[in-house]
Amino acid sequence: MPAEVKQEQSPSNATSLAMMQEPQEVVEETVTIEEDPGTPTSHVSVVTSDDGTTRRTETKVTKMVKTVTTRTVRQVPLGPDGLPLPEGSSPLGSYTDSIDRRYMKNGNDRFITPQATSTLTRSYNNSYNDSYGETPESQYVRHYGLHDGYADLTDNYGSLSRGVNFRPPRYPYLPNSYRPENSYTLPIRKDDYGHVAQPQVPMGSSTVDLNRSQPERFQPEPYGLEDDRRSLGPEEEEPYELEPDYSTANRRTLPGANRGRTHREPLRDGPRIRGYPDDPIEAELIDERHPYIHGMYSAPLAQPERGSMASLDRMGGRRSPSIDSIRKDPRWRDPDLPEVIAMLGHPIDPVKSNAAAYLQHLCYENDKIKKDVRQLKGIPVLVGLLDHPKSEVHRKACGALRNISYGKDNDNKVAIKNCDGIPALVRLLRKTNDMEVRELITGTLWNLSSYEPLKMVIINHGLQTMTNEVIIPHSGWEHEPNEDSKPRDAEWTTVFKNTSGCLRNVSSDGAEARRRLRECDGLVDALLHALQSAAGKKDMDNKSVENCVCIMRNLSYHVHKEVPGAEKFQDPSALQAPGSVGPQRKKKDDAGCFGGKKAKEEWFNQGRKNGENDKNYDTLDLPKRTEPSKGFELLYQPEVVRLYLSLLTESQNYNTLEAAAGALQNLSAGQWTWSNYIRATVRKEKGLPILVELLRSDSDKVVRAVAIALRNLSIDRRNKDLIGSYAMRDLVSNLPSGQQRPAKNLEEDTVVAILNTIHEIVTDSSENARSLIQAQAIEKLVAINRTSQSARETKAASHVLQTVWSYKDLRNALTKDGWNKSHFQPTVTATPKATKNGKPGYDDTTLPLMEKNQDGYSTIDQRDKDCKYKASDVSVDLTEREPLKNDTNRKHYIRSNRPAVSLVDACDVKPQPVDSWV
Amino acid sequence: ETLVKLVSQQRIEIQKLRQGNNLILGFSIGGGIDQDPGQNPFSEDKTDKGIYVTRITPGGPADVAGLMMGDKIMQVNGWDMTMVTHDKARKRLTKKNEDVVRLLVTRKSLEEAVKQSMGGFPRP
Repeated sequence: MPAEVKQEQSPSNATSLAMMQEPQEVVEETVTIEEDPGTPTSHVSVVTSDDGTTRRTETKVTKMVKTVTTRTVRQVPLGPDGLPLPEGSSPLGSYTDSIDRRYMKNGNDRFITPQATSTLTRSYNNSYNDSYGETPESQYVRHYGLHDGYADLTDNYGSLSRGVNFRPPRYPYLPNSYRPENSYTLPIRKDDYGHVAQPQVPMGSSTVDLNRSQPERFQPEPYGLEDDRRSLGPEEEEPYELEPDYSTANRRTLPGANRGRTHREPLRDGPRIRGYPDDPIEAELIDERHPYIHGMYSAPLAQPERGSMASLDRMGGRRSPSIDSIRKDPRWRDPDLPEVIAMLGHPIDPVKSNAAAYLQHLCYENDKIKKDVRQLKGIPVLVGLLDHPKSEVHRKACGALRNISYGKDNDNKVAIKNCDGIPALVRLLRKTNDMEVRELITGTLWNLSSYEPLKMVIINHGLQTMTNEVIIPHSGWEHEPNEDSKPRDAEWTTVFKNTSGCLRNVSSDGAEARRRLRECDGLVDALLHALQSAAGKKDMDNKSVENCVCIMRNLSYHVHKEVPGAEKFQDPSALQAPGSVGPQRKKKDDAGCFGGKKAKEEWFNQGRKNGENDKNYDTLDLPKRTEPSKGFELLYQPEVVRLYLSLLTESQNYNTLEAAAGALQNLSAGQWTWSNYIRATVRKEKGLPILVELLRSDSDKVVRAVAIALRNLSIDRRNKDLIGSYAMRDLVSNLPSGQQRPAKNLEEDTVVAILNTIHEIVTDSSENARSLIQAQAIEKLVAINRTSQSARETKAASHVLQTVWSYKDLRNALTKDGWNKSHFQPTVTATPKATKNGKPGYDDTTLPLMEKNQDGYSTIDQRDKDCKYKASDVSVDLTEREPLKNDTNRKHYIRSNRPAVSLVDACDVKPQPVDSWV
Repeated sequence: ETLVKLVSQQRIEIQKLRQGNNLILGFSIGGGIDQDPGQNPFSEDKTDKGIYVTRITPGGPADVAGLMMGDKIMQVNGWDMTMVTHDKARKRLTKKNEDVVRLLVTRKSLEEAVKQSMGGFPRP
């Protein structure tokens, strides 16, 4: 059974924390990971779900579960709960019936039979042969009697006997000693307490006999079992594993006499066998460990396949037919959930770890079971096991928590948090050096971080630990680098990926979260180092890089307002104007409801004024530093521009591209000195052509992020001129024409973003408006204005048209092309339409530029994951675009090539339609 | 990506509101067989000469009743509205002796509706 690891991206995820976004719209990526038990390593492939909202990564794992979790409890063919029996009845069908009947008759007592108790015990039944002989009809006897008690203890130490893979220690791994048929499937009864003198049966012989006698039981069916290579590893050193007849349960039990007998008793004696409930001690033990005894039948049985799946043959790749027989044999069942959860509290460690591993397995992709585990109070027990000193125990517990924490059911995540699971995970992260455990811990934290209310909790308990234990060491960054040592590269480990994913999620939790991350010692430094290492090696498509860039983007959001000392860098010209805005920015809650229009306009005008001032920044020298920047200062140093541009040039990962563009967008927003530097630096680093080229991306969200970045960059007047000259056609080509959406079929948010960018570019620049006309945009804009189904698109197009018409020197040309004033006026219904989506003013282009929400918060389209950005499709002639810096030819370019306007009604515009109030 | 057109038909009952001497519904209509259908921003088919809701008074009777901008009015109190003049439609809606109008409307929500139903994830 190849285990699978799943990664799933939860719904409203990863988006770009665009500068214009309000904090609550920050885009985050929530990735959750689910893993099957014993699937530490894996290859990941991306799978897109049908609805395009959930991405799953499935991993085929070659490594198998080490411990067998299959439990060999007697299975009743059809329980009172009506669960159907597994198909494929065994040859012993008739026998089964009789058992069933008896069970039914006995009611609760049926679980008192030795088999039942044997779930936790694996004692070896020395009298097996006898009883077997005596009661041929009860073949079950053989089952439980048998046991791998003496089998290879390394895997069988569990409370769950794994009927599979029985291997006498004497001949470990010798093929011929292996008896597939043997009753490994039998529940093991164990009355003997542990290593204490068990009646040992000479292993070889008895099993052999058994096997021979029951060959028909084994009916292999394809189950995909594989061996667990790890089982041969040195790690199995626990002492009990060396003990042949180790009994997992009942160890502290006492009078074994009775018990010793019982397990070999034929079924018909079942009810009496244990003396329950007459014997109080016995009863108590049973209550404690075998909750199923009382009405376990009312509890749902675990799905047979899942249970049996858990039993893996660890013998060198060989499958054990006995597993299959277990599955087929309707008389055997897997332990039910209350039983498994009860085993988590078993005094014997291997029982705990096996139970946890089995839980992990059961929970895999099964939301119902996860919920049941929660409701049965299994989660606090698992969390408690995280502090268990034995690695086998805390590892399995962690694996189970990782699966439970995965998925859309946030109640499971909350349950983990409510029993202090988060600090427990973090504590274990500090303590363990086991890479597998670290992967599980960080995977669980990643899952938990997808739920909003837990983000701050994770930050409070785990931020510095994750940074110190994972991010910094794996990033290659060193606090105080040794002069001789050469810089280390980042290692893209799973632990790093998980941890960066977790931080990516929590970084979207608002201003306080951003502050905490920015001020977390070493975090920004390490992330930046890792990204630079990625850029240096041209290894920029992986998930870790994506996570890092997303964190950087999120932390760059509102730096101009949020970093300590930001006020010292505020652009003085911005502060002068009354109503301009430094501090009166919107808070989180204000999203979408902007303040008075007057203030907005003033602010906007202010921004415009600053834009003009920006001409000067071309000559501005960057500030000289006496000491290197560190910590959050690194976020907005002009040096980062080169990194982001490098990512934008090289990465094929849409999320990375979006995030890198979003980072530039965030950094180029705002009225402070650093954003001025950033805007100028992007130009000087030849970033504008790179961004313009990305307007041709197939990815909606990349186009959107780039468009908004260009809008912010055009606050710099010189950038505005260049963008107007060279980006207009690419912007316009993304607009829908008439009733037809372009091939790209961009989302409304993207179209609105592009329209707003165009508006910004043509504002205060009749030259740019002329470029717009030359790009044949008027026809599209008029069409959007009149016929778009989207009120927001209509409104944004209308603003552009009004601005264009406001340039009187262009009207002549427009008229010659067949346009008249009516085309540039808002449609009658424009205003009311805007309220349609309940986002009044949301994309009002008169809003202050830097406060404006990026239209729409962007939700990641998972499908993008599958279709890589095709560089080949974007054949931009870079040499042609180089002249961005040199626009002397611009007018010439614009004058040529008049638009061929061919609107049908262009020359005969009918009067506005009648519109009557009723 | 396929845009799926979702068209739903709804019955909406609007209680008129008295305003001075008038009973008002609180919305405006556009369209009609005597109007230029190409100017109708709401119609999918630009030859559609039907009557459409063009504006709605926030908080007014139509708003309260759930009428939405862009709805196409198919019937008013059982009268067909798909082939009438603009003025005829207006008169059907403003009869002084009727306090209540029952509308049959169709409403299309194109990609947005589809996104909602397929994407399944609410935007903040």
